Amino acid sequence: MNLSLELMAPEIIVLATGFLILISDLFQKSKNENKASSILAIVGIMLAACSGLFLTDAPKETLGGRFGLDQLDLILKEILLLSAGLVIMISPAAMKEKSEQKITHFSEFFTVILFTLSGMMFLVSSRDLVTLYVSLELATIPLFALTAWTKTDKSGEAGVKYLIMGAIGSAFLLYGLGFIYSITGDLGLKAIQTTLTASQLTNPSLYLAGALILAGVGFKLTLFPFHMWAPDAYQGAPTPITAFLSVASKGTGLILAIQLLLKVMGFLLQPFVFGIAILATLTMTLGNLVAVRQNNLKRFMAYSSISQAGYLLMGFMTTKPEGLTAMVFYMLVYALTNLAAFGVLIVHIHQTGQEDITSLRGISKANPLLALSLMIALFGLAGIPPLAGFVGKFFLFSIAAQVGYYWLVAVAALNSTVSLYYYLRLVRQMYIEPENPQSQKLQISPMSILGLGIATVGSVVAGLIPYIYDGILATSSQWLQVWLKI
Amino acid sequence: MLISWVLVSLLLFSLGIYGVLTRRSAVGLLISVELMLNAAALNLVVFNRFLFASRMDGQILTIFVIALAAAEVLIGMAILVMLFRRKKSVDVTQLSQLKH
Repeated sequence: MNLSLELMAPEIIVLATGFLILISDLFQKSKNENKASSILAIVGIMLAACSGLFLTDAPKETLGGRFGLDQLDLILKEILLLSAGLVIMISPAAMKEKSEQKITHFSEFFTVILFTLSGMMFLVSSRDLVTLYVSLELATIPLFALTAWTKTDKSGEAGVKYLIMGAIGSAFLLYGLGFIYSITGDLGLKAIQTTLTASQLTNPSLYLAGALILAGVGFKLTLFPFHMWAPDAYQGAPTPITAFLSVASKGTGLILAIQLLLKVMGFLLQPFVFGIAILATLTMTLGNLVAVRQNNLKRFMAYSSISQAGYLLMGFMTTKPEGLTAMVFYMLVYALTNLAAFGVLIVHIHQTGQEDITSLRGISKANPLLALSLMIALFGLAGIPPLAGFVGKFFLFSIAAQVGYYWLVAVAALNSTVSLYYYLRLVRQMYIEPENPQSQKLQISPMSILGLGIATVGSVVAGLIPYIYDGILATSSQWLQVWLKI
Repeated sequence: MLISWVLVSLLLFSLGIYGVLTRRSAVGLLISVELMLNAAALNLVVFNRFLFASRMDGQILTIFVIALAAAEVLIGMAILVMLFRRKKSVDVTQLSQLKH
């Protein structure tokens, strides 16, 4: 067996950094000193990202074809690394005393984040069902612990709910994988795809497997009937973990969907485009309508991210390269924009100790830059041109138009308008409502400023640089030629 | 023979879902979820044994599933112990702080 471990360099660096932080914690005097470990974590993530840039052009495999790497995998990994790095940059703001959700044990906190990040990256590269399932659990199980990190009633409740729902989701997924195995008798994704394509839809248990896998993916991606855990987990989790859940965990769901639904069962998607359209409609409409009524900032962001998952789903309506590209591009844009919003919310929630939307009243007076950055992020999520959020949504909507679903484009545009209403509610609180007499100047560390700056600038310019979209498009057409022979 | 074993695993899976929907104790919920995971694992072993007996793929995946399910329960019990210390109960109907 040819063992070329250099293909795994980013994952190995991330894991090694995790262990290094854990060991270096032993030599620290104060348990709440977080500077060293956060710098170590960021350096590790940057090293991993750089090492990814040196990796191959041609698709390669190692460990007997169980671990593969191609250009699209690298792009997805860089997006995951970027979002985890930004989360680590903005999370030390959650150490302040005011909020009951204060995070302790920062070294372990970063270590667990790095472990779940490595799981997500292994998931991208997995080429058989064993690797896929193990890395999916490696990405998911640490998140349960992170959700319950602060040991308060709310955090624990969120942890239990997330754990039970997450475990049910993975049980559904595994039951589905069992039926896939019963049809093909093989665990390698390539072999499964070849056998399934040859059998040409004669097997009814294939549909059962598809439905079960869709349920498993739906739990991760917070699609309509499986979204119940998201608002509770998002509200109870410590705010940096809410940010991480909304970005990286959703990214994991997307990667799982690409691996199983597009790569393995992609040829099956054509007859089910109508079902995908219905699922997208329900998800975005539910997310938007319920978000209008929310008063808690974190719960509000949860429903907003559910509706974003609905938009994201439109990319699955075609097996042309444009669909895949639109989804990956939107994931990048969504990660930057959402983290810019959360960067401000973390500082706000943890210094004022208040999570209500009305607590944002008049903060633009004392903190003009923070308010501006939150406003840009919210406009980006709503999809106002020329922000990157608009460009990402445009590509997704154009997919629906390409396959002839004009009513879906209309529904999605209508939903965007509704979402603009509730995002503007926050902007109104910040800019138009009279200033709260107790409002104070929020303290923000240089590291958070850097993270917030990268996310905000990224959420503005990512749509203006054509190189990004073109790069992903070229890669995904190559990828589809390899996997789906299209 | 194959069909009866598949039915057994389906029965286990359904029992698990029934347990998740009806149990009030969080520990009971965890056990029900375990039942679902084990039904899926049994499925893999059965298909391996009856359909593709020459290779061991499905059974290898099952071993991983057992280990992962144990890890999942470990985290779950840790969270439950933490909650029990604070609330003196693991009744899920009392976990209702997070609403609107």
